[in-house]
Amino acid sequence: MKRFLVMAIPVVTLIIFIMVMFSGDYLKQPLGTDDNIPQTIEAIIKSIEAENWESVETETLNLEAAWKKVVRRVQFSVERDEINYFTTSLARLQGAVLTKDKSSALIELKEAYSHWENLGR
Amino acid sequence: MSEGLVVIVRGIIGFFTLLIFARLFGKEQISQLTFFDYVLGITIGSIASELTVDLSSRAWPHWVGLATWAGLGFLLQLITLKWRYAAKYIEGEPTIVIMNGKIMESALKKMQLRVSDILELLRNKDVFDLQQVDFAILEPNGQLSVLKKPEHQYLTPKDMNIAVEATGISTELVYDGIIIEENLRQLNKDRKWLADELKKHGLKDPSEAFLVTLNPAGSLYVDKYEDHIKKITDIGDYKGPY
Repeated sequence: MKRFLVMAIPVVTLIIFIMVMFSGDYLKQPLGTDDNIPQTIEAIIKSIEAENWESVETETLNLEAAWKKVVRRVQFSVERDEINYFTTSLARLQGAVLTKDKSSALIELKEAYSHWENLGR
Repeated sequence: MSEGLVVIVRGIIGFFTLLIFARLFGKEQISQLTFFDYVLGITIGSIASELTVDLSSRAWPHWVGLATWAGLGFLLQLITLKWRYAAKYIEGEPTIVIMNGKIMESALKKMQLRVSDILELLRNKDVFDLQQVDFAILEPNGQLSVLKKPEHQYLTPKDMNIAVEATGISTELVYDGIIIEENLRQLNKDRKWLADELKKHGLKDPSEAFLVTLNPAGSLYVDKYEDHIKKITDIGDYKGPY
């Protein structure tokens, strides 16, 4: 038993570490109803195409809230640069929404989605 | 994103990974490290520090780097252990720099060493006169092993035909005022015996002792908490803050 523990403790520790380091790709996926980043982005794109700016504004706030939730979960296993890039895209999107700039808003959303995809990979 | 918290988590990963990998390397002493082992250690340590604080990239690539370096180091250790030819190639071999009292100039040249370097290494071994040296061997870890001429070697009890008792290793019986029951049992002694012995040293209770050890010859070493030393010798050579 003692010998087993001597071997098992470091092996289990290393496995836990590897799991923590790989958790980003899984933890970025939605765990509830209000943290679904791809779905929120999709909804914003639809609203922008329909030029429904009121709805775009609300959904952008939802996206920001969802992003904050996801960041808390994935921060230990993803690169900070991807997090920063997504946050920057989000800020630019808010600017584009304010000026009702359809093309800029779509560019930022596509970029944000690409950063979300790269998160933890 | 809390950077401090992320650094703490990544620090824990780096610290314990390094600890586990270091245990894999076995009990090689720091003083026996070859230059390559030394560089290997520095590189692995540097990767571990990057894993902890370089948040611009994921922890995983750093961890893989750490595992690769540690794995290769371990592999090299295994190869040198199992294959002597490879060990000579990888770790080098001892070089005789003084033979029968004569300096081997060609060996020095090959090792890119000056005579002054050898004299320095000899002085480190308390040898100040080259005439005393029979053999000097430069080890792969950079240390010099010196064999003095027979007439300059230390006299031992054996040379004088003096019978000496075996010293052996002392066993701790009390540490920090607490009796180590396991050691007492191993020596077939009991608390009463210990109390009687301590009384002889002026102690009423084991808790008054900081350290008590017993050597195989049966002699007890007792260090009390109260040392009754009024003036402690100051070995400092300059008046500092303490």
